[in-house]
Amino acid sequence: MNDLVNGFGFLKEMEQKTGENIGACYQCYRCTNGCPALPEMDFSPHRLIRYVILGQREKALTSKMIWSCLQCTTCSIRCPNDIDIALVIDTLRKIAVKEGKAKDLDTWTFDRYFLDSVKKHGRLYEMETILRYKLEKKDFFGDTKMGMSMMLKGRMGLLPHNIKDRQGMKALFEKARGE
Amino acid sequence: MAATLAYYPGCSLKSSSKFYEASIQKIFGRYGITLKEIEDWSCCGASAAHTVDERLGHALAARNLALAEREECDLFAPCSACYNRAKVTNEMIRSDAVLHAQMNRAIEPLQTSAAIEVKNIIEVLDDYVGAEVIAKDRKYDLSSLKVVPYYGCVLTRMMRVKPYDDKENPESMDRLLFAAGLEVLRWPFKMECCGASKTLTNKEMTRRLSDRIMDMAITLGADAIVTPCPLCQMNLDLLPALGRSKESLPVLFLSEVFELALYGKMLGAGSHMISAEKMLAKVKEA
Repeated sequence: MNDLVNGFGFLKEMEQKTGENIGACYQCYRCTNGCPALPEMDFSPHRLIRYVILGQREKALTSKMIWSCLQCTTCSIRCPNDIDIALVIDTLRKIAVKEGKAKDLDTWTFDRYFLDSVKKHGRLYEMETILRYKLEKKDFFGDTKMGMSMMLKGRMGLLPHNIKDRQGMKALFEKARGE
Repeated sequence: MAATLAYYPGCSLKSSSKFYEASIQKIFGRYGITLKEIEDWSCCGASAAHTVDERLGHALAARNLALAEREECDLFAPCSACYNRAKVTNEMIRSDAVLHAQMNRAIEPLQTSAAIEVKNIIEVLDDYVGAEVIAKDRKYDLSSLKVVPYYGCVLTRMMRVKPYDDKENPESMDRLLFAAGLEVLRWPFKMECCGASKTLTNKEMTRRLSDRIMDMAITLGADAIVTPCPLCQMNLDLLPALGRSKESLPVLFLSEVFELALYGKMLGAGSHMISAEKMLAKVKEA
């Protein structure tokens, strides 16, 4: 059902979760005009904001565009109504994943492996993170050339970077996420 | 001016961009700036942590802030992503007592009071060396070098925190490069996104974005692109490995420009994927 009927429920939900005054959008297109990820998107940022206001929850959550976003925040700083659009997108991603509606899980998967590595070692273990991601994607040779040139220049290490207080790191993850 | 700073290298400066760290150490030593690496620092979570969980992102940054405070001096973070995360968290916990208390619980037994300032490499060179000393101390003539200043996305694009320079048209690095004696070109891509957050997940997209930046620099007649950010440097420097067959310009770290002005050469020339040889030939004895 459209939220124009049931009282802007989705808009309220998003404004509460982001702390942003999303309803202030007057569709000036500045966010869309500056977006470097636009060619990858199924619809544009100003339209996403419109969908939020109109209560088109499914359209927003199942879009590909929320996953194409680079989080460069050009849209946010240019918004004349001071809406942090990149934060709205970031928040939609979290809801989409939670409700099993995410259309493109690559970014999410990579970010999770990245964080697993930080939780375990304290610092990013690049090789492990990349290999786990590549295994999941069953893409074994796609980036071989890039990896080889980096290794030849000494720019890709093979070993993990362990901090001393790994117990504290594990506890930090649990406390920060559990509260 | 002699100064001591707490130093947060971040993951890049210990792996893919070790030569950036060596370059910074070299020129900072020359200008009398001492760096104290924070003991047992951990990853700031970069773009991954806050995307998955906002509070986790703040907690990872808060842990390093707490460790840095022990050094009782301001914090220097050369990586733009690390700098952004540390600065945003530092200022947010200053103004949000609930968040502050949550973060201190997450990082126990460590505690942060958010008392120190977080600085990037441009601010450090501005605050502790200054354009006048930079201009006076240079030993090599870089006036034949044309460069474009590439700040990258995250250095000043901050929504709820006041950035150190303009959000759309920063000029602090332009002034430093000018003081070092280079010709600084005007260009529209100072802050254009290189696509770093998608290098592995959407290579084609990253390639397209980085290609545009490189093409613009070439069109304007630059000899090199200069950036303070290890993610921007890596992405642009990887272009030939990502399949770019057209000419590519070398991508220098800001500190490497200072190496050229002071010593006429760069320690990390061999770590660049795109050769800097042609550009280096333009460096002259003063």
